[in-house]
Amino acid sequence: MAYDSQEMVKKVFNQNSARVDTNKGEEFYNNLFEKTKARLSKLRKQPALKDIDIIDIVESEGVNRRDFMKWASATTATLMLPPMFTPLVAEAAELMNRLPVIWIELQDCAGNSEALLRSSTPTVDDLIFDVLSLEFHETIMAAAGHQADAQLEDAVEHFKGKYLLFVEGAIPTAMNGQYGTIGASGETFQEHLMRLSKDAAAVVAVGSCATFGGIPAAAPNPTGAVGVMDLVKGKPVINIPACPANPANMVGVVLHYVLTGQVPELDSLLRPKFAFGYRIHDNCERRAHFDAGEYVEEWGDEGAKNNWCLYKMGCKGPMTFNNCSIIRYNDGANWPIGVGRGCIGCSEPDFWDKYAYERPMADAHIKAPTGGVEKTVDEFGLGLLTATTIGIGVHAIASAVVGKRSVNNGESEEA
Amino acid sequence: MKTVDIVERIEGEAKLNLTWKDKKVSDASIDFLNFRGFEYILENKPILDALVYTPRICGICGQAHLLATVNAIENLYKNSGNELQITNKAKILRELGLIIEIIDSHIKWFYMFIMPDVIAISKKQYEGYTPLKGEKWLGAQKGASEIIKALAIYAGQWPHTSYMIPGGVMSDPTLLDIVTCENYIDQTIKYFEKDIAGISIENYLSLNSFEELTLLSSSLRDFVDISFETKLEQVGKAHNRHLVLSDMIDVKPGLYNKKISNNIDLAKIKESEEYTFNINKKDNKKAHTWSKSVQYNKHFYEVGPLSRAVINEREFITTLHNKYDDSTFTRVMSRVDEIAHLLIYSKKLIKQIDISEDSYIKPKIDLKSLENITATSSVEACRGSLVHTLSVNKGLITKYDVITPTVWNLGPKNNIELGVAQKAIIGSKSLNESKIILRSFDVCSVCTTH
Ligand code: SF4
Ligand code: SF4
Repeated sequence: MAYDSQEMVKKVFNQNSARVDTNKGEEFYNNLFEKTKARLSKLRKQPALKDIDIIDIVESEGVNRRDFMKWASATTATLMLPPMFTPLVAEAAELMNRLPVIWIELQDCAGNSEALLRSSTPTVDDLIFDVLSLEFHETIMAAAGHQADAQLEDAVEHFKGKYLLFVEGAIPTAMNGQYGTIGASGETFQEHLMRLSKDAAAVVAVGSCATFGGIPAAAPNPTGAVGVMDLVKGKPVINIPACPANPANMVGVVLHYVLTGQVPELDSLLRPKFAFGYRIHDNCERRAHFDAGEYVEEWGDEGAKNNWCLYKMGCKGPMTFNNCSIIRYNDGANWPIGVGRGCIGCSEPDFWDKYAYERPMADAHIKAPTGGVEKTVDEFGLGLLTATTIGIGVHAIASAVVGKRSVNNGESEEA
Repeated sequence: MKTVDIVERIEGEAKLNLTWKDKKVSDASIDFLNFRGFEYILENKPILDALVYTPRICGICGQAHLLATVNAIENLYKNSGNELQITNKAKILRELGLIIEIIDSHIKWFYMFIMPDVIAISKKQYEGYTPLKGEKWLGAQKGASEIIKALAIYAGQWPHTSYMIPGGVMSDPTLLDIVTCENYIDQTIKYFEKDIAGISIENYLSLNSFEELTLLSSSLRDFVDISFETKLEQVGKAHNRHLVLSDMIDVKPGLYNKKISNNIDLAKIKESEEYTFNINKKDNKKAHTWSKSVQYNKHFYEVGPLSRAVINEREFITTLHNKYDDSTFTRVMSRVDEIAHLLIYSKKLIKQIDISEDSYIKPKIDLKSLENITATSSVEACRGSLVHTLSVNKGLITKYDVITPTVWNLGPKNNIELGVAQKAIIGSKSLNESKIILRSFDVCSVCTTH
């Protein structure tokens, strides 16, 4: 009961940030800087898997070197590295063609691939398609059929222990895996995943299906679907949840790997901290309205017209970790809260059963993530809190002036 | 002789089993071997949760599923005598979302799924279409990314946005948003003129005879040339029966079976599971795919852009159809042709938006008060007509049934008739050709099985 105190409410909803602090101090970064430099020069000596120069491509797309550096500096910030890494990030982008990537689709909707195909922030698509050595991707590669099978085998053989395996979709385990089979031999998705992950340098689970089982695993989980980390052991697994996963974070993971040869720092759910160290709520442009107790009470009401907070309409921003409030979707065109619909918590485990969407937290008797008894927002007495203005971060005040974004210049706000 | 092949570079994967006789395909079956079980998952969920579930059936046509769900829920209100009032603005924003998604999908399908196979059977070199490298391929990737932003502007993201709700839409775009949206559409028109058709969109839309195919240039011309070089106009013929179930995106419902009729009764739709695996019945020996099959008035019908063009008598496609029937050539041309029509139509829709109207009008009664009611809706998706049927009781879903366009086109046969794609493939003279015929239906395994 004590947790229901006003103090608890303040803590959960009004604390400045639940952002994970990844700053490790000057010495650490100086060290990392040297290591990275050494790694990049080693990579440079390796033969390119594709003889394409990013700068050529960037220039042929009409993006100049300055814009490219701007992109690099934004990406450095996204990766939570200090600005001195910017030139190295730019160099890493040029060296992405040294890193082989294999992408497989299991029990999915192809949405993450689609999201990837739709990314074209200056140069990011070029990085992915032209420079990244995508050795295998079922949906977009040139080969098909037996030829594709052979290409996959070749890639696995040739890049043994070196490739990053991207996995999209959950893995059905019920009925001996017969809910999903692949290839001419009828290998189950599980067998396929196990075989390909064996020789991978690391496995990247993209989207909430591959990370936590996602939609197929929603109750009653008819196919016994699970995520990659439930099956792949003894190998680094990186989770990039969300539905769909944000392409910027996929690129981020690859770049980080090129830069350091290591997987980025992960949280307890194996999500990279650079992307999932933020709570939606803390960087939300509507946060000032939350703090001021100004809520949309009904779609289309005055509050909705004034872009007030969507908490009472079921927004799960306060319990969701992701960076989409910063980098947005479709090259930063917009994001759900930007157009007035609440966050559905799609990067959290079991969000289908726990959160879904039309369960407005406001009158649905919920439990705050830190525990305590189920209550409604009004019962929590947020109205009271607003008078105190305790804990409102500077960014919240700033976001009040930002208000609704009407036109986007294609850059992340951190740029 | 029998062959088993895997068809990739579709959404998901399909297994194509062919029986050969005298160097021709004498029998074909198409298996979809990936299943998630949406219809089971939706049972007992709160009704409005369907708004976030069904778009995830497919990463390509999520808007169509979202709209089908919203319409089905609104039909629940209607069937209970409480019809909702939806403002014009909300209706337009919904339809526009659907259209943008279709345009996006057609562009991507043509360049990424069809052309790489088509160029492979030509004797000439067409390097621009090589996946991941060719300039036309990359151009399409860019073109598709641009048009989808027109939707992201007011829907928040794509894929998987859920901005529609019973009663309207959640977002309230400003004038600037609308102008930005229109800008993206104008960009796509330019892209169509330069890269796809190679002529102005006005000229394109005035084409009305077979001879005028020669006026095309750019990618569409390449496709036409390869088609006649490799005889794609002579293959891929199915039943030549067509069906359109809904009246959005500037088409009217109807069917074509030698002649056009505009009387459609959704009660004549029947699904069958004769050849389909079932999670609860594991002893069906005939089962070979997760796809069900579906008939209208006891017959298999094709759905999709070709069907839409034929039933709505769009001149250019109708002339091609009169000459070549439902061939692979006509089917691909109809898809690309639809891009032009929808671009112009979406501009018309945008002009009609009155931003001072409400986005949403709250339903007067609570969904939880509806007892034992069923409603059906249909929507035109990129691949054809989509049907959702939803039964609810006291706020919970008791049954949810989805019939995707790919089930119409790619579902298995029954004991009277061959399935649509199956019929189209039988008679084909090579494996590559069979695969192109199959692809011309825009195969999506994730939709088909859901
Ligand atoms: S996480 Fe979402 S986008 Fe990705 S495969 Fe699953 S349903 Fe599709
Ligand atoms: S809209 Fe959601 S994320 Fe934004 S301030 Fe309100 S509750 Fe937090």
